[in-house]
Amino acid sequence: MDLLIPLIILAGLYMAWNIGANDAANSMATSYGSGALTLKQVIAIGVMLEFMGASLFGQRVTYTIAKGIVPIELIDPNLIVVGALASLLSAGFWITIATYYRLPISTSHSIVGAVLGFGIAAVYQGYLSISDIRWDVMVRIVLSWIISPLFGGFLAFVIFTLIKLVLFEKFDVMSVEKVFRFLQIGTACYVAFAHGSNDVANAVGPLAAALGCIGKEAPIWILLLGGLGISIGFATWGYRVIEMVGRRITELTPTRGFSAEFSTATTVLIASYLGMPISTTHTLVGSVIGVGLAGGLASINLNIIKRILASWLLTLPISAALSIALYIMIIELI
Amino acid sequence: MRFVRSISEVFGYSPFEDLKRHAGLCAVAVGLLQKQFEAYRMGNFKEVERLRDEIDEIENRADDIKEEIRGKVTRSLLLPVDRHDLLNFLDVQDGIINYCEHVGHMLTFRRMRIGREIWEGFSILLSKIMETINEYEDLIDHISRLVMSSFTRREVEEALKHVREVERLEHECDLIQIGLLNLLFNSNMNPVDVNLAVTWVVHLGEIANYTARSADRFRIMILGKG
Repeated sequence: MDLLIPLIILAGLYMAWNIGANDAANSMATSYGSGALTLKQVIAIGVMLEFMGASLFGQRVTYTIAKGIVPIELIDPNLIVVGALASLLSAGFWITIATYYRLPISTSHSIVGAVLGFGIAAVYQGYLSISDIRWDVMVRIVLSWIISPLFGGFLAFVIFTLIKLVLFEKFDVMSVEKVFRFLQIGTACYVAFAHGSNDVANAVGPLAAALGCIGKEAPIWILLLGGLGISIGFATWGYRVIEMVGRRITELTPTRGFSAEFSTATTVLIASYLGMPISTTHTLVGSVIGVGLAGGLASINLNIIKRILASWLLTLPISAALSIALYIMIIELI
Repeated sequence: MRFVRSISEVFGYSPFEDLKRHAGLCAVAVGLLQKQFEAYRMGNFKEVERLRDEIDEIENRADDIKEEIRGKVTRSLLLPVDRHDLLNFLDVQDGIINYCEHVGHMLTFRRMRIGREIWEGFSILLSKIMETINEYEDLIDHISRLVMSSFTRREVEEALKHVREVERLEHECDLIQIGLLNLLFNSNMNPVDVNLAVTWVVHLGEIANYTARSADRFRIMILGKG
C-alpha cells in the first residue's frame, strides 16, 4: 500500500501541473492581453500568488475534496489510498483527453466526479451505504457550480456599468483605460491568489485523504506541494497558453479586464472560504459575459454557454465512471 | 496548439471593422464616379467604361463584405447594439454603393453632347455628394470609439453631430438636383438625351438619399442601446 503513496503524489503533481498550465494561465491571460503586464511579469506574479493562495487559503476546499463528499473515516485506510489514486488518475486522464479536444471542462468538476465515483465504488463493495455519501454536500457543490458563473457575471456587469456611468461619462476613455492598466496589476495578483486557493484542492485533496489527515486542516506541506505543482505548470506550459489566449482577447481593455478579473477572483475566493470547489474558468467566462451584457464588448459568442453546459454534463458521469473502473482494476491488481 | 483550454472562444465575430470597410468602399465608389463623369465630359469613353468596370469590382467587394457580415451576425452573438438594427443599417448602406453601380453603367449607354452649364451642374452635384459621403465616413469611423467607450452619452452625441451634418448636406444635394433638372428640362437637347441625363440626376440623388438614410439607420442603431 505504501508503494501507492508516491504514485498518488505523482498523480497529484500532474493534476497541479495541469491546473497551473491551463486554468491559472487562462485566468491571468487577460492582464497580459490588455498589455497591463509583460509575459515575464505575469509569470512572476502567477508563480508567487498561485503558490501563496494554495498554501495560505487552500485548506477548506481541500477538506471538502478529501472528506467532505465521501466519509472516509468509515472506510479502511488502505482502500482510501486506492480510491485517492483512482480519483486522481481518472480526473487527470479525463482532463487530458478533454483538453486535447478543446472541451471547456473544469478540473474541479472532474475531481469531484472522480471522488464521488470512488464513494460509489465503496458503496458497491459494501463498505458504505448509499446514504453515507454526503449528498447534501454534493448538492451544495453542484449549486455552487451553477451560482458561481452567474454571480461572477452579475458582479462584472455591476462593476463595468459603474465604470461606464461614473468614469467614461466624465473622463476621456483612453485616460481611464490607462489608470486601469495599473489597477489590473492588482487584479492579476488577486485572481492568481484566488485561483490557487480554490484549485489546489483538486490536486491535493485526494492526497490528504490518502494520508489520513485528521481534523479540519490539511498539513501545510501538502498544500505547499500542490502550490509548487501549480507554479511549475504555470511556468513551464502556462506561458504558452497566456501568449496564445492573450493575443486573442485584446478586446478586453484594462477596464473590461479589471471588471472580469475582479469579479472572478471575488467569486472564487468566496467559494474557497465556503469550501466549494468551483471552476475558475467557468466563472471567468460568466464574468466576461457580464461585461458583454453591460455593453462593454464588441461581440460575445453565446454558443460557449452550450459548450460549457455540455462539458459539464459529460464530466461528472465520465470522471465518476472512470474512477470506479480504475478503482476496481487497482484492487484486482494488488 | 493542442493541449490548451482557452477562454478566448467566448469572444465572437465583431462586425464593426467590416462595417467600416464597407462604408469605405462606398466612398471609393463615389470618388470613381466623379472621375467617370470627368472622363465623359472630356470625351474619353474608353476611360468611362474602364471606370464602370472598376466600380463594378468595388461593388462586388462590398457585396462580399455584406454577405460575410450577414452570415456571421447570428443570434448566438451578443452585440452591444441590436442585431436587427445593425443588419438594417447595413442594408441601407449597401444601397449607396448599389446606386453608384447603376450610375456607372448609365454613363456608358449613350454618347451625348451636353452643354457647359449642365456639366457645371453635374460637377457641383458630384462634389456635394462627395462631401456628403466623406462626412458619412467620418460618422461610421465613430463606431470604434462608440464600442470602446461602450456607447457613453458623450460619444453618442459626438456621432450624432455627424448625422445632422450628413442630413444637411443631403438637403443641399436636393437643391442642386432641382436646379439641374430645371436646366435639363429647359435645354434644347434631344429628348432621349434629356431623359438619360435626368435619370443620371435622379440616381445620383439616390446616392445622397441612401447616404442620409443610412446615417439615420446608424443613429437608430446607436440610440437603440443607450
